[in-house]
Amino acid sequence: MASLTKPAPRSRPIDGGRILIYVILLSGVILAIVPFFWMVSTSLMTLGETINKQWLPKVPQFSNYSEAWTEAKFAKYFFNSVIITAVTVAGQLTVSILAGYAFARIKFFGRSFIFTILLSSMMIPESVIMIPNFLLIRGQIIPLPGGTWLNTLQALTIPFWGSVFSIFLLRQFFITVPSELWDAARLDGAGHLRFLLRVVLPISKAPIVTVFIFSFIGSWNAFLWPLLVTTRDVWRPLSVGLWSFVTEAGPETQLLMAGAVITIVPILILYFLTQKQFTEGIATTGLKG
Amino acid sequence: MTTSTPPVKPAYRKRRWRWMDVQEQLTGFLFVAPAMIVISVFGLFPIFYALYMSSFKWRVRKGSFIRFGNYEKAMGDWRAVALFIFGFLLLALAYWVWTKALRSRHDGKLLAGIMTALALMGAGWGIMTGWQQMLASGDDNFLNALPITVFYALGTVPAEIGIALVLAYLLYQKIRGQELFRMIYFLPYITPAVAAAVVFRTIFNPRKTSLANQFLSWIGLETQRWLFEPKPFLNVMFGTHLEGLKAGPSMALVAVIFFGVWTYVGYNTVIFLAGLGSIPHDLYEAAEIDGADRWQSFRNITLPLLSPVTFYLALIAFIGTFKAFNHLYVMRSPAALGTVDTTSLVIFDTFYKANQFGYATAQAIILFLIILALTLVQSKVFGEKVFYG
Repeated sequence: MASLTKPAPRSRPIDGGRILIYVILLSGVILAIVPFFWMVSTSLMTLGETINKQWLPKVPQFSNYSEAWTEAKFAKYFFNSVIITAVTVAGQLTVSILAGYAFARIKFFGRSFIFTILLSSMMIPESVIMIPNFLLIRGQIIPLPGGTWLNTLQALTIPFWGSVFSIFLLRQFFITVPSELWDAARLDGAGHLRFLLRVVLPISKAPIVTVFIFSFIGSWNAFLWPLLVTTRDVWRPLSVGLWSFVTEAGPETQLLMAGAVITIVPILILYFLTQKQFTEGIATTGLKG
Repeated sequence: MTTSTPPVKPAYRKRRWRWMDVQEQLTGFLFVAPAMIVISVFGLFPIFYALYMSSFKWRVRKGSFIRFGNYEKAMGDWRAVALFIFGFLLLALAYWVWTKALRSRHDGKLLAGIMTALALMGAGWGIMTGWQQMLASGDDNFLNALPITVFYALGTVPAEIGIALVLAYLLYQKIRGQELFRMIYFLPYITPAVAAAVVFRTIFNPRKTSLANQFLSWIGLETQRWLFEPKPFLNVMFGTHLEGLKAGPSMALVAVIFFGVWTYVGYNTVIFLAGLGSIPHDLYEAAEIDGADRWQSFRNITLPLLSPVTFYLALIAFIGTFKAFNHLYVMRSPAALGTVDTTSLVIFDTFYKANQFGYATAQAIILFLIILALTLVQSKVFGEKVFYG
């Protein structure tokens, strides 16, 4: 991916055209950033200030954050989100690594047929399968242990363990692992599981990090499904908590913005830590969520 | 005794191979099993169950079997639907005749022109009449969401791709801090849609002091009600008096379109940058030697060589706008009188508010069929124009 950042070979002296280029690029930056600035600034205002025509609070009200954190229950939502995301990511990684490896390296009956079916299921929009899944989770199609899975951790996580996209991405990488490695490992008496854990995984850091990032973001940002299956606060994640704050708490914009900041910050941290992997993973796989 | 060993060996070997084969098969199935179980239960089974549900009257609990009743309820009389689809087929015919006529330089050009004109007229008639009849016999709420979805798609997709192309092309000129620019442009895309939409709700608030209105007064325009404004954008901003479909998107939908563009420009820019990186530099150098200026080499090298990327982005973006839910759901307000309710929102309301499960599933399947048709058309019409090196 060196080509992604490689500048054009010709360098030009500073001229009017060049200044224009920077002006355009910088206005793009301003447009991209203004909503973030507005969010942070508003989150530090008093209620009165949010209604006035001003860009910055006179005195930053950091207490808004503690108020949002405790009284508006964002602490609860935050830790729910953390747990949901951790369970989703761990489950999805495990399931996808095993399946991706099998589709790449184990010859079993019906392999390509199953793989084709999985790939074609990626086309189906969420709105089609959402309602049957909702009935399924409520235990109305088959009886579930515990009657209903509404407001449970498993309802929020298990459906996301099977990600065709992650399986596909890992399979594409595992295929490129030289078969000499497998022959050598087999001579040493290793089976597939040991080969996968000891040889394949250590050399697959890049695709695994990419899958990790995608599933993390997908889980943290998920909204529609959690909205359906959380009717109470028990397992409500941040995205739904933020929305219920909009509908239930009324016009306390500064607290709402503090909640938005709390929702966004973990993703930003992940983004800044894995920046290169992030944009390049997306540029090469072309994921659109 | 020694002679008996050779025949044993192959048999033993054979059996061992089989055993290893079985073991291999078993390992394969075991490795795939967790994924297959989860995907079958939550991804494949629901597709068939959705088809099943859509043929029942199903309000929370299953009711009577009505076969295609839900589909007819949504789309109206099947003859009207057939007429509507026939109109689109005529449109395709017109396109086909026209492109064929341009390719073959025979005397048949005049004839082709006449045929195209006739087909176009027929298409216009079929689509208009079919649509009117569908509206008369079907579910207004669902059908009216379709043009809103189209407005949303047409407002978002060309803008986000055009802006992204410009930004990527400029960034690709040896720009200092290219990576920093790219990183910042990408921020909106990864921001949780609900959080960003909540922020945009306050930015496009009808209050005089909201950010959008401050901007309008700053450039000397009247303040607007934005997300609360169901009136058509054109009528509000330019004082026109258009009505119905001709009037275009509402002011509220335009605010949502701003959000869509804001979110996806950075993503498209990153993909365009990757595409630009794969164009060989000697092409530009050759063009420069031949005396081409910058615009010419952009027009004749960059654009054609980027066309697969552009096509891919347009396709994905288009499908994305038809599926879009989260930010639309958060940004809509009752004051907008349903003018931002795209098809996926109407499906959600049918399901979640009206509790018509069977009917909502039928609507979702119709949406899926529309997306499928659009994808096919887009790959047929634009896929042919794409230049694959």
